[in-house]
This record gives sequence, structure tokens and C-alpha cells, in this order.
Amino acid sequence: MVKVDEKIEEAIKEIFSGDKPWVTIVWDDPVNLMTYVTYVLMELFGYSREKAHELMMKVHTEGKAVVSTGSREEMEHDVARLHEYGLWATLQRGDQAI
Amino acid sequence: MTDHNSDEQHGFHRHGDNAFVAEFSESEREVLINLVEQIIELLGERTDNHVDDPLATMVGITTHDSPPEDEVLLRLLPNAYADQVDAAEFRRYTESTLRGKKYSNSISMRVTLKSSVDGIIELDHDGANDWLGAINDVRLALGVRLKVEQTSHEELELLAPDDPMRGVYAVYSWLGWLQESLIVALMDEAI
Repeated sequence: MVKVDEKIEEAIKEIFSGDKPWVTIVWDDPVNLMTYVTYVLMELFGYSREKAHELMMKVHTEGKAVVSTGSREEMEHDVARLHEYGLWATLQRGDQAI
Repeated sequence: MTDHNSDEQHGFHRHGDNAFVAEFSESEREVLINLVEQIIELLGERTDNHVDDPLATMVGITTHDSPPEDEVLLRLLPNAYADQVDAAEFRRYTESTLRGKKYSNSISMRVTLKSSVDGIIELDHDGANDWLGAINDVRLALGVRLKVEQTSHEELELLAPDDPMRGVYAVYSWLGWLQESLIVALMDEAI
């Protein structure tokens, strides 16, 4: 058997997932409550409280975080839902500098 | 983002599996109705211009592809892309739906407030989400007017007693506390 390390596995995955290189980014803003951002991420994406909290903290400390990955259409849907809740979100190609 | 410490007031609490209850004084109820009606009015100002295209109306395409000039509306209906061309295209196909959702959140909150007896509000999970969205839109709107992007909380706390923004900041803070109490009640359920 050929042994493939994780990095190569990732690269191969990317080759086959053609239309999957888009990301949804949530940006920090001074109005939204930390608990609210956590709650919205749990509610919209079904993330566990731990995962949602971790992403929220990333937004809070680093100014932004990728909260979901998928096709452009899927990310447009996610951004629209985040806007409904008043979070500041945008989408872009995953390989673009954030 | 901000972290909001709860104080001694009560706000929302959970009753059973799917009920979130709060009690408001008459003046609090009036403030909430007044605020939510201002959001309803503001959203109403940005109507669709598709006068003679019934198909566009039907599928929810607006003729808007430029962002709102009003700062508050722009925060409520933000761009989805950094790229202006992509943002315009996305807005053309989705802004009307987003506006409709925000409108219905605010209407839902207004209806429960208007029909409450003795200031008691009882919400189910969906109703609670409507309220969270509606309260958040009011806070986003007040936040733009208070310039919270550029001003620290310490500065806002120190506004002069005769500064009208002092009262606005008090309402903004109270709404944050109220929203927090509803989220805490909802998160209890999620355990």
C-alpha cells in the first residue's frame, strides 16, 4: 500500500472538490454581543457550544473568522442567513487573502 | 463585540421546555414598541422600484443593486462581497428577502408587545429568535448613531447629563442586557 500523509490527502481532496473553495467570514463589530454571536453560530450551523464559542473568540480576538466552507451557492446562503441575524458577514474564494 | 454583564434585573427567563417569559413596565413596553416601529419605518423607506415587472416582483428581485446611502440601512442590509460588482449582483437578488425577514422580525416583536396583558411577554423558540433579530437591529441602528465603532464604552459612559446621546446610550445598554437575558434563557435549553 502507498502511504499518503495528511497534507497530500488534503491536496487530493481539493482536486476532487472542484466547486468547494468558497468561505464565509464573520467580522468583528462592536455592537453584537459575544453570547449572541455564539448563539447564532449554534443556531444556523448546528455547531456545538464549544465550537461556536471558539469561532466567536477568534472573531473577537483576531477581527474575523471563517465560519463555513463550501460551494459559492452554499456560502451565499450562509451569508444571507447571517445578515438576517445582523452579523457582519461576507463570502469570498477560499484561496483569496482574507 | 461586547460582553454584557447581567445585573440584578430579571429580563427573560425560561418556563418549561419552550417558553421564554419577561415582564415589562408600561414605560418599557412603550420604549420597545417605539424603537421597533422606527425600524419598521426605516425598512419601509427602502421600497422596491420594480413598477412594471411583475415577474421580478414575484421572484423577489429588486432593482436595487447599489448599497443604501443611509448609514443605518447599510448596516442592516450590508454588502455580502468586498468586490463591488459581486456585491451589487448579490444585492439585486437577495436584498428584498433580507428586508422582508427583518421586517417580519420587527412586526412579530411589535405584535407580541401590543397584545401583551399586564406587560407579560411569553415567547416560543421561533418567537424568541424573531425578538433576538429585531432587538439586534435596533441595537445596530442605535450603535451607528452612537458611533460605537469610533467611541469607547468609557467615553459613552461619561457623556454629559444634558447630552441627548446619553439617553440613547442608556437605552442601547438596556437592550443589550435584555437581549443577553433572552440568549442565556435560550442557551439553557440547548444543553
